[in-house]
Amino acid sequence: MSTKSQYGEAKDNYHQKLMAKSIAILVVCILLTLICLVPIYILIVNSTHSSNDLAQNPSRFFFGPHLGDNFKTLMNNLPADAGKAAKRVAAQYSSAFNLGKGYLNSLIIAGFSTLLTVFFSAMTAYGLTVYEFKLNSAAYTFIIGVMMIPVQVSSAGFVRFMYSLNLINSFIPLIIPAIAAPAVIFFMVSYMKSSFPLEIVEAARIDGCTELRTFVTIAIPMMKPAIAVQAIFAFVANWNNYYTQNMILKNADYATVPIMVSKVLAFDKNVDNGVNYLCITLSILPIVVVYFILSKFIIAGVALGGVKE
Amino acid sequence: MSKLTRTLALLASIAVVSSAFVACGGGNETTSSSAAPAAENSSSAAPAEEGGDSSAAPAEEGGDSSAAEEGGNEEGGAEAGGELEAGAVNLPDTDDTLTIVCWTDADLANMFDVYANHSDANVVYQNCGDNGADAAVKYATYLNSGDDVDLFVAEAGWILNYINDNSMSAPLSDLGITTADYADAYQYTVEIGTDNDGVLKAASWQAAAGGYAYNTALAEEYLGVTSAEDMQAKISDWAGFEATAAELKEKSEGKVTMAATIGGLWQAFSTAKNAAWVDGTAIQTDVAKEFTDMVKGYVDNGYVNPKVEQWTTDWTNVGLQGETLGYFYSTWCLGEGAQLEQHGGTDGNWNIVVGPQEFFWGGSWLCVSPNCNTASEASKFVKAFTTDASIMEEYALYSGDFTNNKVAMDKIVADGSNSNPLLGGQDQFAVLSDVAAGIKMSDSITKYDQNLKDTFLDVLKKNIDSSTDDIISAFTTQALADNPDLTA
Amino acid sequence: MASAAQSRIKSISYAKYGYMFIAPFFLVYCFFQIWPLIYTFILSFKGNQANNAQFVGLDNYSQILFGTGSSEGASAVHEEFARALGNTFVLWFGNFIPQILLSLLLAVWFTDAKVKLPGKGFFKIVMYMPNIITAASVAALYVNLFGDSKYYFVNATLMKLGMITDPVEFVAGPTASKVMVMFIQTWLWFGNTMIMLMSGIMGISPSLFEAADIDGANSTQQFFNITLPLLQPIMVYTLVTSMIGGLQMFDLPYLYHNGANFSKQLETVAVYIYYNFNKGTVDQANYGYAGAASIVIFAITAILGSITFYMNRDKDAIAKKKQRKKAEKQMKAKMKQGGLSI
Repeated sequence: MSTKSQYGEAKDNYHQKLMAKSIAILVVCILLTLICLVPIYILIVNSTHSSNDLAQNPSRFFFGPHLGDNFKTLMNNLPADAGKAAKRVAAQYSSAFNLGKGYLNSLIIAGFSTLLTVFFSAMTAYGLTVYEFKLNSAAYTFIIGVMMIPVQVSSAGFVRFMYSLNLINSFIPLIIPAIAAPAVIFFMVSYMKSSFPLEIVEAARIDGCTELRTFVTIAIPMMKPAIAVQAIFAFVANWNNYYTQNMILKNADYATVPIMVSKVLAFDKNVDNGVNYLCITLSILPIVVVYFILSKFIIAGVALGGVKE
Repeated sequence: MSKLTRTLALLASIAVVSSAFVACGGGNETTSSSAAPAAENSSSAAPAEEGGDSSAAPAEEGGDSSAAEEGGNEEGGAEAGGELEAGAVNLPDTDDTLTIVCWTDADLANMFDVYANHSDANVVYQNCGDNGADAAVKYATYLNSGDDVDLFVAEAGWILNYINDNSMSAPLSDLGITTADYADAYQYTVEIGTDNDGVLKAASWQAAAGGYAYNTALAEEYLGVTSAEDMQAKISDWAGFEATAAELKEKSEGKVTMAATIGGLWQAFSTAKNAAWVDGTAIQTDVAKEFTDMVKGYVDNGYVNPKVEQWTTDWTNVGLQGETLGYFYSTWCLGEGAQLEQHGGTDGNWNIVVGPQEFFWGGSWLCVSPNCNTASEASKFVKAFTTDASIMEEYALYSGDFTNNKVAMDKIVADGSNSNPLLGGQDQFAVLSDVAAGIKMSDSITKYDQNLKDTFLDVLKKNIDSSTDDIISAFTTQALADNPDLTA
Repeated sequence: MASAAQSRIKSISYAKYGYMFIAPFFLVYCFFQIWPLIYTFILSFKGNQANNAQFVGLDNYSQILFGTGSSEGASAVHEEFARALGNTFVLWFGNFIPQILLSLLLAVWFTDAKVKLPGKGFFKIVMYMPNIITAASVAALYVNLFGDSKYYFVNATLMKLGMITDPVEFVAGPTASKVMVMFIQTWLWFGNTMIMLMSGIMGISPSLFEAADIDGANSTQQFFNITLPLLQPIMVYTLVTSMIGGLQMFDLPYLYHNGANFSKQLETVAVYIYYNFNKGTVDQANYGYAGAASIVIFAITAILGSITFYMNRDKDAIAKKKQRKKAEKQMKAKMKQGGLSI
């Protein structure tokens, strides 16, 4: 009897403690959620106000009526009776921030880089794990070694070299080097080592499958989870790669989203804060929306990135 | 064997993909003129609306010239300038689009508006870099990139880098333009546009005289000043400027500062001294030291807010919100749609005066790219805006910019044809014409100026509470670290 | 028959396919990375500004590392480089430590089956979100919200609430701006690290925790004795990736400023390299300093990287070696026993 009640008490106590802990955690999580979302919310709110309203009261928490006006300025689609000042602002913003072009350029660069990165990294990883050859371990050590070389190290030489090849203002220096992604190879090698049965290759050989076909039709499907993860990372990294893009792409026609945002940020004349906010919103929002749609898949993918040797 | 062919096929497919990118680049190239419609949209709309304001000529002409095709001979009677003529060019003429690289589209947008009245050439600009400091950096890459560039706009702070580098710029004589064409120009613009070998490499359309523009409502409320003459009398030297600042501070209970930014004060203070930043290789700090002494006092007394950064939202807001009495402006700030209007000049309750010192601010030059392939059109354009008095007069009236042609400016002042609504009808050219005539900077500008000026102002603002000597030595340290060519 | 085929396959050398499969990587890598790296190396032995074509030996290195050399500003060059290096490490530590602590805490909470937390999936999604936003946009966002004067959101709001009387200089303030960059960097990355660590924790066999529960270990003990040690490989991975990222931190420090020029107080080595390399026309830029700084940061990364890798790999190898030895001993013992029994 007594033991039972004691046990019950302990259990209640335990439950209470757990409850308190859960609530504390919930509070922390809600706080962090707010920290993540509030800046974005304020950004969107501010993009619906005019520059003048923001100057008079910058602390605004609710949507304003000027989203359409800001859009018109950004698109250089002002009414005919707009003043010259407004027109100057509109001309400046629309020439620096062409959203459609920026997204297209960013998509081309990030999309093709991602494709090349995952395909050739998987291929290299396959070559390193499936075949035994003299330089195998040397090659792998090399890849691990160069994995840590920061981009900046070679960037000085890289840009000068691209000059001499006349590849400034071209997407090639931003896409083709994606073939060589040591970190992705490193990840894929460890993934293959842990979850790619080599017997399957032998079986395929017995069935008369060529090596390349084995890789494309058997290995790639089996590596899908790893490829998906790295594709996400590669895409995000290439999409956000301001450093290299900024050094290579100097012509406004090739500007990508990050370059456009940094241009808008650098305006020193004809600044309109409402439109500034709108530009930033437009650079962020589509990505955030796509992210939320794909979030379950992405989170699962990122989690996979953590499961490794 | 078959595996090998497959691998080769794969490599071939990569090649195809990469050539697709090339094609892609090519595709973009053709759309590059899409910047043009945007620019031209604003240009074709503006003259019509603008005509009533400043002068009737552009609107009428605009209608004519766009209707009359290439046979512009007939309209010569109506327009003093007549048909634009290219000089004897020495560069290829293979392209039909004149591409001008710039770092701010404000000037070029105005120019294109005016140019549309005289020519139907296909003129586009490429705005790379969005502020002067940034552009100095980006131009080098851009000009080397192989993209189409016919002309480019360079600013006083860094023009010497470009005109003294033959891989970056070609002589104006290649467009059939010589020093003799600039008899009516302000001579300093020609001297700066001439490179170390005495070759004319750049021509300016403006003489960037500066003045002090102030808010007349605030001046009346706190200083009891009702006319520009009275204002100028009060601030005709730095002592007067400081005394007025003190009076303003007291009457407004510290709410209104005399000058908007340290950067503006620096411009007014330093340029008139005509002192070079660099002599030989030695960094000169005398003027900087003098200025530091002065401005530290200003900051301590609240005559200027050191936190307000030139060219930022704060800079705009102090004007809009009536927190500063005035700004030091260059002429290109005074036109419709430029800084003055954005800083609250819409009610016409601003005036401009010469201020404590005659000064000038910046100025831009048109330079010729060695890769220019639209030589005749380039020649016409440069001639129109740097030598043609009537077009330059039209441009001055349209943009509010002080153009680089004494004849044109004297005519405007004599005719009294300019009345700036933002300045309550004042004619800024009349106020500033003496200033423009006195500009001397040809013997003082160096290719390090932009960097040194930026560094100095940055160091000054960050260390405003330190002693003058500390500030100057911090500046020298930083300047030496950035420029190993220089010595202290 | 099958065995015949198998032995035939075994006898074929597949080595050439190995080379073929890894060839694209090496070709592209050499062309786009190694050659530029060599080029950078060459640049680091050449002069700056007007002397950019001249071979100057180790002059750039001695200037940036020791403050002695041909230019009069050598000590200033060294000071600036040292400051940039210091900033790089300060900014990295300042975001890595809060980031790993916060992520670890959240990961433990989220994987704790006993804690009933509604909306776990939602929290994960929201917390990872900042990571996908372009750093350039993030910098623009924060500069516009945290601007230095009362005309910006945060200062205006704080002043309205009466929490401050004068605006705080979040962007230009020497300390505040660094803290802000650390905060933003943490904001960007904590979700990513958290999810990595979570999957690491979930990879730990639940039976270990059950056994610990039965033995009466509380959650703190479990954390320090089970979770943390078993999480070590993934922590090292996070450390290494974060370090590589941290040493090349560029976007935020470069873009987080007001006005035309980047903020010197946030200058990292990457910014230093970029700035000196892109300082205008050829005779204005400091290719030599940029090259030498690149090589120095390369050396630092290589050293730090090999230390962490060495430590991590060594332990694994040692453990495996021990295991193998143990197994051998057991085998021998068994054989002995067997031998005896026979």
